[in-house]
Amino acid sequence: MTDWGGQRAPLGRNVLRVGLVLVLAFVVLAGGDGYWQVMQAQPLSAAPDNPAIIAAARQVVRGRILDRDGKVLASNAIDAAGQTYRVYADPSLSGVLGYASLLYGTAGLERAFDAQLTGIRSADPVADMLRKFQASPYDPSDLTLSLSLPLQERATALLGKDRGAVVMLDPSTGHILAMASTPTFDASAIADPATAKAAWAALQADPGKPLLDRAVQGLYVPGSVFKIVTALAALGSGAIAPSTTFPQQPAAETNGLIVSGYKVVDGHHPFTDGEALDFVHAVEVSCNIYFALTGLKLGGAGLSAEAEQLGFGAPIPFDLPTAASQITNGGGNIGGGFKDDVELANAAYGQAEVLVTPLQMALVAAAVANGGQLMRPELVTGLTDRSGTVHRIDPQSWRDVVAPDVADTVKAAMEQAVESEWGSYFTPGAKVPGIPTAGKTGTAQLGGSGEPNSWFIGFAPVDQPKVAIAVVVEHGGGGGARAAPMAGQLMTYYLKELAQ
Amino acid sequence: MSAATARPRSDPFAALRGVKPRPRPRELGLLVLVAVVLVAGSVSLGLYRTHRLDPADGGVVVSYLIALGIGHFAQVLAGRRTDQVLLPAMGLLGGIGLLVMIRLPQELVQQSFGGTTLGLAQAQLAWLVLAIVVASVLAIIVRNDSWLRLYKYTWAAAGIALLLATFVLGRDRNGATLDIHLGPISGQPSELLKVILVVFLAAYLSENRPLLVEQYTRLGPFRLPPLPYLIPMVAMWALALLIVVVQRDLGAALLFFAVFLLLLYVATGRATYVVLGLAAFVVGSFLAYKLFGVVRERVDIWLDPWSVAQGAGYQVVQALYAFGRGGILGTGLGAGLPTIGGNLPIPEVNTDFVFAALGEELGLVGVLAVLGLYLVIVERGLRIAAAAADDFRALLATGLTLVVGVQAFVIAAGNLKLIPLTGITLPFVSYGGSSLLANALVVGLLLALSDRGVEAPPPPRPPGGRLARLVDRGAR
Repeated sequence: MTDWGGQRAPLGRNVLRVGLVLVLAFVVLAGGDGYWQVMQAQPLSAAPDNPAIIAAARQVVRGRILDRDGKVLASNAIDAAGQTYRVYADPSLSGVLGYASLLYGTAGLERAFDAQLTGIRSADPVADMLRKFQASPYDPSDLTLSLSLPLQERATALLGKDRGAVVMLDPSTGHILAMASTPTFDASAIADPATAKAAWAALQADPGKPLLDRAVQGLYVPGSVFKIVTALAALGSGAIAPSTTFPQQPAAETNGLIVSGYKVVDGHHPFTDGEALDFVHAVEVSCNIYFALTGLKLGGAGLSAEAEQLGFGAPIPFDLPTAASQITNGGGNIGGGFKDDVELANAAYGQAEVLVTPLQMALVAAAVANGGQLMRPELVTGLTDRSGTVHRIDPQSWRDVVAPDVADTVKAAMEQAVESEWGSYFTPGAKVPGIPTAGKTGTAQLGGSGEPNSWFIGFAPVDQPKVAIAVVVEHGGGGGARAAPMAGQLMTYYLKELAQ
Repeated sequence: MSAATARPRSDPFAALRGVKPRPRPRELGLLVLVAVVLVAGSVSLGLYRTHRLDPADGGVVVSYLIALGIGHFAQVLAGRRTDQVLLPAMGLLGGIGLLVMIRLPQELVQQSFGGTTLGLAQAQLAWLVLAIVVASVLAIIVRNDSWLRLYKYTWAAAGIALLLATFVLGRDRNGATLDIHLGPISGQPSELLKVILVVFLAAYLSENRPLLVEQYTRLGPFRLPPLPYLIPMVAMWALALLIVVVQRDLGAALLFFAVFLLLLYVATGRATYVVLGLAAFVVGSFLAYKLFGVVRERVDIWLDPWSVAQGAGYQVVQALYAFGRGGILGTGLGAGLPTIGGNLPIPEVNTDFVFAALGEELGLVGVLAVLGLYLVIVERGLRIAAAAADDFRALLATGLTLVVGVQAFVIAAGNLKLIPLTGITLPFVSYGGSSLLANALVVGLLLALSDRGVEAPPPPRPPGGRLARLVDRGAR
């Protein structure tokens, strides 16, 4: 044993090591501080519940919001007390724009772009950093949207008293042209201090939940419009070819298809007369048995992978907060999270636990229309600051979701579904007169005795599509009853009167 | 030196005999720098508020600078060769804290002394002046350390008494029992406890160091300390857990345990102990997480404060927003977010979240400067430890330094969401008498320990003392 004999063994080395540990710990602190104060500074300062934004709202005249043609959608007025408040052009905009109220905060684009509209943050980070040396720290920007006010009003008017949503976009740019959600509400009444309290109370009590922006937050059973997702997955992975037929399909139309002892029944197209349908015909007549068999052949993992590419499974990155669409509740142990083959077979034609937002289904149509390249959906296309400097937000490609030839196959089938004799029986009124149109209806069974949800997704013209659309009408009946004719009228209005 | 003269003297005035003034140019120069910074800060705050060249609360800042100056001249007159960097470093941190207190709403604190009521800045000034007095007096009069080293179990008993007093007399604040109130006097005992703990540990570890280093008990692949020495360590671990359980004071528990482990490493140089200690920490944390709602809540907030941004996570989220608003250069003193509808943007901004306030108004640049100041204090303290004449002084200086460094780390890391938030103060900067006075004790003792002209330590006693002889296995 060491003889300590009153001599101490030096502690210096241990002290030095502990010192180094502390230095390291402080370097980590400095790094953490840099992370929040430099890298995260912009997103933190733009967070809607940041009190800096709330403080700004009291002092600043917010920037205006304009549509694609410069029509004013949101502007400001002054009340007797000298307090400015928001005025909105039309209730049809309520879902998209939301509201900005000193009493009730913000929602919609007013919330998502609060920092830019109050000018606490601009498009230029360096200017933002030096802002504090100026007399006023705020530089509100005007927002320019890709939205068309007349199209938005028409879509809302066509939904009428029904609850539902319409999403229209330019598939080649991802620019949203219309995004209607009904019922709407009077956002001006919430923004005006004189009427705010009564309007807010009425809104909270409304059973139609007007504050829910159904276009991006509503989750619906898609029914047959989901077959396009299954088709993209199956054709893309080679699980089926356009010529694939299933010999057991014709008999199953009448006797039902037995999957793991559970019967999947279709039988709503008896006039196909026992013919084994190929892919295009199956889309035309919207054959559930064909897509159930396709789903089983494809497997859950393949369906899940393609759906994820299209945006399922996570909120879609967008200017407004979006709900995540899903193909299953997950947790199952056949591929893709499905419980069993019964769930997979039903999901493949859009039933089971499949839930989608109208925006998600519009993107599916847009991906097909744009040859398999999915553009990032965009609503805000430009910011104009007080000095008149315009900061444009350019279209961005999001994902290549399928090969162009697969997209073309699905495109042709969707064209048949609108234009052919069989197709037009299922999809009446979707055609844009004089322009080749593609689409797919959906009749989403909800269980219980209520009318099904009426769906349509589609695009036009088939070559060089200028508009893709998704329409859902809650309890609107069959897809052909409400959604398809509405889509036809809206695409016609846009292509014939607005798009030139 | 004979054994007779080395014995500790009890004459309290011995310190003051034969005093010869000795200039401290380095300290003076640094204090002038501190004065320049604080006056500039005060002018900047005044400019923002009034748009005129009118220092904000100039009287408060000048009073503080005068107190620092008096502290300096007292050291000069005392003529000791003590460290000349610690006082200015503490002075600048305290001054920055004072500027923040001047800038915050004064109604946050209403401290009554006799007939007068002091607002936030005035109260903080009073505590700071008292802290300077405490540090200066300790630096001047402490010339031997026997009163610290010989009575370690007395100190331990005092510490435990203090802890018990908290259990009995403590009052709940935000779900934790931190304050005790005795008539008009209130305070946070854990601040004083940390100093007592370091004194005890330094005495215990220095006395038993040879045995802790050389002997061990085998337990499977591990070499444990000799069993009787394991007991105090287990006791430390249990103490930390007890503080969590009874007081729900996670910050103090974390601080104590971290300082204990680091000090154990310095004394023994054995990484095994640290690994074992960390394992015990993990087990303790896991148990605490499973058993106590307050721990679970803190961890959950830490993992995702935004999910409860309007509730339990409000403070943490608001602190992050404050950092975000500050950016690289900060908003400038006074230009950070004012109160919103009469409420503070961050609750407890003057104590637990003062680091976030610094981040908002001084930016990354200011935060780096403050972190640098703590490292200066750590460097001086550890330098004093390395140069100390014996193990006790080395361990004492290390422990005192660690208390400041680790505490600053724990609260800053909590503010920055690097670790779960635990409510302790940022040393020298946060508002609060207990914290300032305890940290002044630390600086005062470090200053005293830094004097190379001080009495030599007593000769080492047989290693281990009574306890060691009981378990001595014939090593000697």
